[in-house]
Amino acid sequence: MSSLTTEQSPKQHRYLDVVGVTKSFKGTVVMDQMNFRVARGELVSLLGPSGCGKTTLLRIIAGLLEADTGDIVLGGRNVSSLPAHKRNISVVFQNYALFPHLTVAENVAFGLRARGMSKTDVQAPVADALALVRMESYADRPVSALSGGQQQRVAVARALVVSPDLLLLDEPFSALDRKLRETMQIELKALLRSRGITAIFVTHDQEEAMGVSDRIAVMSNGKIEQFAEPSVLYAQPASPFVMDFVGLSTRMSGRVVTQTDGIATVRTAIGEVRAIADYTAGTQVQVGVRPELITPDPTAEMNQIKVQLDDVMTLGSKTVLHGVTSGEDKFLCELSGIRTGYTRGETVTWGWAVADTLIHEVAA
Amino acid sequence: MIARSNRIALLAVPGLAFLAIIYALPLFLLLFKSIQGAEGLTLASYIDFFGDEFNRTVLWRTLRVALLTTLLALVIAYPTAFAMARAKGIWLTVFLVALVLPMSLGVIVKAFAWSILFRSNGFINTTLQAIGITDEPVRMLFTETALVIGAANVFLPFMVLPIYSVIRQLNKSLPEAASSLGATPWFRFTRVTLPLSLPGVVAGSAFTFSLAISMYVIPSLIVGERQQTLSMLIARSFLYLRNEPLGSTISAVLLAIAIFVVLFSSWLAGRLGARQ
Repeated sequence: MSSLTTEQSPKQHRYLDVVGVTKSFKGTVVMDQMNFRVARGELVSLLGPSGCGKTTLLRIIAGLLEADTGDIVLGGRNVSSLPAHKRNISVVFQNYALFPHLTVAENVAFGLRARGMSKTDVQAPVADALALVRMESYADRPVSALSGGQQQRVAVARALVVSPDLLLLDEPFSALDRKLRETMQIELKALLRSRGITAIFVTHDQEEAMGVSDRIAVMSNGKIEQFAEPSVLYAQPASPFVMDFVGLSTRMSGRVVTQTDGIATVRTAIGEVRAIADYTAGTQVQVGVRPELITPDPTAEMNQIKVQLDDVMTLGSKTVLHGVTSGEDKFLCELSGIRTGYTRGETVTWGWAVADTLIHEVAA
Repeated sequence: MIARSNRIALLAVPGLAFLAIIYALPLFLLLFKSIQGAEGLTLASYIDFFGDEFNRTVLWRTLRVALLTTLLALVIAYPTAFAMARAKGIWLTVFLVALVLPMSLGVIVKAFAWSILFRSNGFINTTLQAIGITDEPVRMLFTETALVIGAANVFLPFMVLPIYSVIRQLNKSLPEAASSLGATPWFRFTRVTLPLSLPGVVAGSAFTFSLAISMYVIPSLIVGERQQTLSMLIARSFLYLRNEPLGSTISAVLLAIAIFVVLFSSWLAGRLGARQ
């Protein structure tokens, strides 16, 4: 985990400062008074389902879309009124948007040529950029002859060769198959880190966001629900939406019946569940728990549930037990490594620590 | 047992037969006439044709008019195609109707309509005189300029539609990528949009040039006998002069130009397309 985000003062968070950005399309407000700050050198993800406004925010920062109100400040310079080509913000597009009529090297050279550099002057930086993404042997190929992963490398080289103040990546891995995607994530993250690039990823894939980012902004309906490090997002989701969107969890709704010494007891369909919370009795809540925090050998002070084993999935690195309660709620219990000795159909008692219960107030 | 693909190829037989009898055969006979002399095959009528200064003037004029028509149509069509590619819903319909509907009107109606504009007491001349640009009416009817303008008008759809369809299919991220890489609108246009739209330009120009080089009705109505073109010369050779070898020769020349345009444009389109 990076120490960047926790130990620096708030002022240094303001390398990119999005202030009060509002945007509406045909009278529908899709983003209302958005505030968003990123530190220099930070890798940040905008995570959310389609239509949550993450791409809109990216396009507004890039200057490809004009905000109705609000400011974009980058490195102390207000770029709000500048057109995209004067912002020095590079974008890696979802489909890579490589120029089909140019070779790999000509694609990478494009930004430098646009800045007025001569054909001879661009050769060295273009060769460096291609070497950086290990594409130097493809320099004279047409881009149509490249595979998806190679196209992405060229798009990254093209975006980085101009030394952008900020790099934006719109679903950069979505066109790649799973295995290649993981390799490219590791490669790209290492590359951006080594060059000290400040980058914002837009993605709907929470695993990808957690893998590549220092911090993640979870977005829903044009708002940031929570902006935090992946560990915080996962362990302390700020809302039921974040809890649902980031990681697996089993959720139950219920009502707080008693609350003593910061421990709330919630009555749910499957019995009483305790959580650390200071909600008063009568509050409508949603409680949940992560699969890997459930144990098949609970101690007496844990929350306990009775489930019938529905399925045992041996996945190699982990074993996932599926349990169904009498109320038809489905629980997952994730154990590391290969586990044996569980039989489908048997009724067992599972449990989890009171402190591991996730709890949020919901509208009644 | 005939292979399946061969059986499917049989479906082309009626079409091929029709083309062979109605198109290829008469064309072949026409070409044969142009090299048929009293004592066997000869190129005499070609030598006669190119040896005559009047004929060379007509050939050159025909090429010039076709080229200018293509250029004028291109200049008007290129921005129009962009506007259409951006247009949505009702506006796109308006564009398409405005473009295609006049094609159903017929050249004769249009030619008479232009004469209302172009004649000495026509709209353009009265306007020019009214705002004091000229004192005397400018002669426009029966000039090459009028012919080029009229022809460009008739052939405009053949230029707009190929360019429009290419621009419509352009990936919208490409100009955005160019902008984010620091390209000014001009750099973006000259290095990305223009090169990528060239296949449409080539196709539209080939269409328009081929049509303009062989047009007959439009020059007959707009410039008449004063400024002959190859097509008019062909008609005159067959209908008035009864000189079939000459008419066949001019037809062969015209055909050669048309074939060259088609081959050249497909070569050019192939070269442009090869990189994409």
